[in-house]
Amino acid sequence: MTTALVVATSVVAGLLTAAGVASTAARRRTGLLHLVLAGVLEALLVVQAVVAAVRLAGGTELPETATFLGYMAGALLLPVAGVLFARTETSRWAGTVLAVPAAAVAVMVWRLLQLWEAGSG
Amino acid sequence: MAEHRVPGDAPPAEGLGRVLVALYGVFALAAGARAAVQLATRFAEAPLAYLLSAAAAAVYLAAAAGLLRGGRAGRRTALVACVVELTGVLVVGALSLADPAAFPDETVWSGFGQGYGYVPLVLPVLGLLYLRAQGRAQKSPPPKSPPKSPPPKSPPS
Repeated sequence: MTTALVVATSVVAGLLTAAGVASTAARRRTGLLHLVLAGVLEALLVVQAVVAAVRLAGGTELPETATFLGYMAGALLLPVAGVLFARTETSRWAGTVLAVPAAAVAVMVWRLLQLWEAGSG
Repeated sequence: MAEHRVPGDAPPAEGLGRVLVALYGVFALAAGARAAVQLATRFAEAPLAYLLSAAAAAVYLAAAAGLLRGGRAGRRTALVACVVELTGVLVVGALSLADPAAFPDETVWSGFGQGYGYVPLVLPVLGLLYLRAQGRAQKSPPPKSPPKSPPPKSPPS
């Protein structure tokens, strides 16, 4: 869990949110751009989860480990669920359907960082 | 799934409805994960707040499922869930401000959903508006003037 990773993740999540809203505004369905952004977002989240898991296994103590793991699992799940759900939507609202979980991830990673720093600080 | 749809039934969520389903899904996840952790690790501290979180998660899930399935039952489920949510967020929001001691730990509905960007306050209203718009769309087209019966044949004179 590092601030750099969290910043990168929230930037990508923000871009995905913007791309989703933009495609709705342009009355278009989601395209390759959304898929790529969602893929990058998921990859960043996986890296984060692995880093956190390694450090936790290495003895880092968190005041709220269960909450942290819950948020981490939720964040990992959201981009995948969002893409699957948006792919089944055939109208221009598919972009907004994807923007919702992306925005949620952007918020969640900062909450994750808070929970993490409460332990290491 | 919804192949045997009776005219007048709501269709499964699509378009804007799906956006609502996504929002409800995210909140079901957020409230549910929080409630699960809280109930599992420190139920005794604030049982009311934690049970409330769990109930909120269940209501969000019901709303998402109801909207997603559509049909008369789905619509009714979503309607009830939205009303419960709106009541919940207003009552709990007011109580949490009036008597903070009763809510030592945050719930999704504390302070009218303050901790979640007030989305919990807006969500049920959006849901109700969507359901109302959907209901209106179904009523149309309004019945036109009754089909005219063929003019009676005048008996041959």
